[in-house]
Amino acid sequence: MTIEAFIGQALSGISVGMVLFLIAAGLSIIFGTLKVLNLAHGTIYMVGGFLCYILTSKLAHIPGAFWWALLFAPIAVALIGGVIEVLLLRRIYSQEMLYQYILTFALILILGDTCKFFFGVGYQTVSVPWPVNGNIALWGLSFPTYNLFLIGCGIVVFLGLSALMRYTSLGSIVRAVTHNRETANALGINVPRVYTGVFMLGSYLAGLAGTLMPPMSVVALGSDMAVIIECFIIVVIGGLGSLPGAFLGAIILGLLNAFGIYIIPKLALAFPFMLMIVILIIRPWGLLGKPE
Amino acid sequence: MILVSLVLLIVPFVFSRSMVSLINEMLIMALAGCALNLMLGYGGMVSFGPAGLYAVGAYATAILLTRYGAPFIVAVLAAPVVAAIVGAIVGWFCVRRSAVYFALLTLAFAQIIWTIIFEWYDFTNGDNGIVSIPIPEVLYVGSNIYYFSLAIVAVCIFVLWRIVNSPFGATLQAIRENPMRTEFIAVPVRRYQLAAFVISSFFLGIAGSLFCVFAGSVFPDYAHWVKSTDMLVVCLLGGIYNFAGPIVGSGVYILISKVISKNTTYWMFFLGIIIVFLVLYMRNGMVGFAAEKIFRFRNKLGAGNGEGKS
Repeated sequence: MTIEAFIGQALSGISVGMVLFLIAAGLSIIFGTLKVLNLAHGTIYMVGGFLCYILTSKLAHIPGAFWWALLFAPIAVALIGGVIEVLLLRRIYSQEMLYQYILTFALILILGDTCKFFFGVGYQTVSVPWPVNGNIALWGLSFPTYNLFLIGCGIVVFLGLSALMRYTSLGSIVRAVTHNRETANALGINVPRVYTGVFMLGSYLAGLAGTLMPPMSVVALGSDMAVIIECFIIVVIGGLGSLPGAFLGAIILGLLNAFGIYIIPKLALAFPFMLMIVILIIRPWGLLGKPE
Repeated sequence: MILVSLVLLIVPFVFSRSMVSLINEMLIMALAGCALNLMLGYGGMVSFGPAGLYAVGAYATAILLTRYGAPFIVAVLAAPVVAAIVGAIVGWFCVRRSAVYFALLTLAFAQIIWTIIFEWYDFTNGDNGIVSIPIPEVLYVGSNIYYFSLAIVAVCIFVLWRIVNSPFGATLQAIRENPMRTEFIAVPVRRYQLAAFVISSFFLGIAGSLFCVFAGSVFPDYAHWVKSTDMLVVCLLGGIYNFAGPIVGSGVYILISKVISKNTTYWMFFLGIIIVFLVLYMRNGMVGFAAEKIFRFRNKLGAGNGEGKS
């Protein structure tokens, strides 16, 4: 492998990893605060993808349609998330884990078929928007600009979220609820509203990822199933509920996906799961998580 | 009980061919559901990977028949053994973790099984699956294949019923209710959980093998986690705290999916709505719901006659 191919492969792996980070971060935040493992999170991402496609194709006559989609699609997805939380999830927090799984699984079916109804079963594509299309020359090598743009987005969201959690009063409220729900409640924090907000934030991130992905890949039914599994791997590697963990896990998974195929092609698909099993057995709280 | 078995025995005489094969599918799913429910309802272990072991059973039979030309009986009998061995290896790791980590571990292992099936072309035929498996002609005569499935499923479900009603089953339920306390009274919790895992794998292997015989073909999708959630839904639909839950759940689930899918391509939407309704309003599943209603009704009746004092 030439050095150019090597770096190119690494960059494309990391850029896909960054999109997955956005989704996994949402999954992880929701799990950390609500203690719900949302199986439908990948489907929420897919809804974002379809919204991106429909907005860019309907607004094709407006310059910068993609950027409008990038602005509005995630907000729409967050609103859908809010409705889901208020109408459904809120009623099962006190229930056993199993009911959460099954309810969120039902959401996969419902949202998936709703997408099928509105957007059809075909593969939809979105072209790479100006000005991040084309290639960029770095150190005499040429890379797709969009990959670098995605990596930038991932880093910005990671830093922004970390700052939000660490330095704002909103962040400390969320952390308080995550840490001890009863005490937070006794201190006058409106816990249900925090739950709704966190679920909407997580959905927003999934919607953002859904909007960013189509120019690089295709929008299609079933992409949710592949994505949610990858997100499970990421959050397990990094640690369930840990934001830096999700960031690290996404980079590791991105590189593993990009290079696994060169090491032992036959096992490329199995590598991530093997890593997941090893982590779950020796360090179930993940690389950057804290033991319970 | 007797009524149900009579009805199942005369099914091929009453219903059309397609209906009989539908009921055949239900029987196999009922067995898979009951096997899973040994862990789920009785052991309180939420597994995301039953489909992996189900697929191991199916592929064991398929590969023995096509690649090694093994006698039919051997191929069918080997399936649960292979599944139990794989289950023992997987389970040994999985029972070390609980709750969400247990679920994720089972998921990861099932996905590895899926990957192996998917990638190992020379052995499993990869994503082409194995088709036209040589099933003995005699099974295709009349409704023999239906009776074959019925007999095996009946025996297996009876054995499972004995297992859950044995001291082993009672201990398993104690572990579900409170693992720590059970550990304190000197029960080796992990060993019991592993045993439940292996037994469950064994019967999942039989269900897989039966489906391989029934369909005459196997595909990697049998191991996919979506198939696992199918099984979880079957258990939940019927109710996980009743032995008959998965059996009823399987019938209802397959009926719903076939009936709705005949009328609309959006059957998953309606299935989703039904599941949501179930989770929100009938948490103990249909059998649990019915049992509760009957119990209340009896109490009312008893009170009316002045018999029931409590």
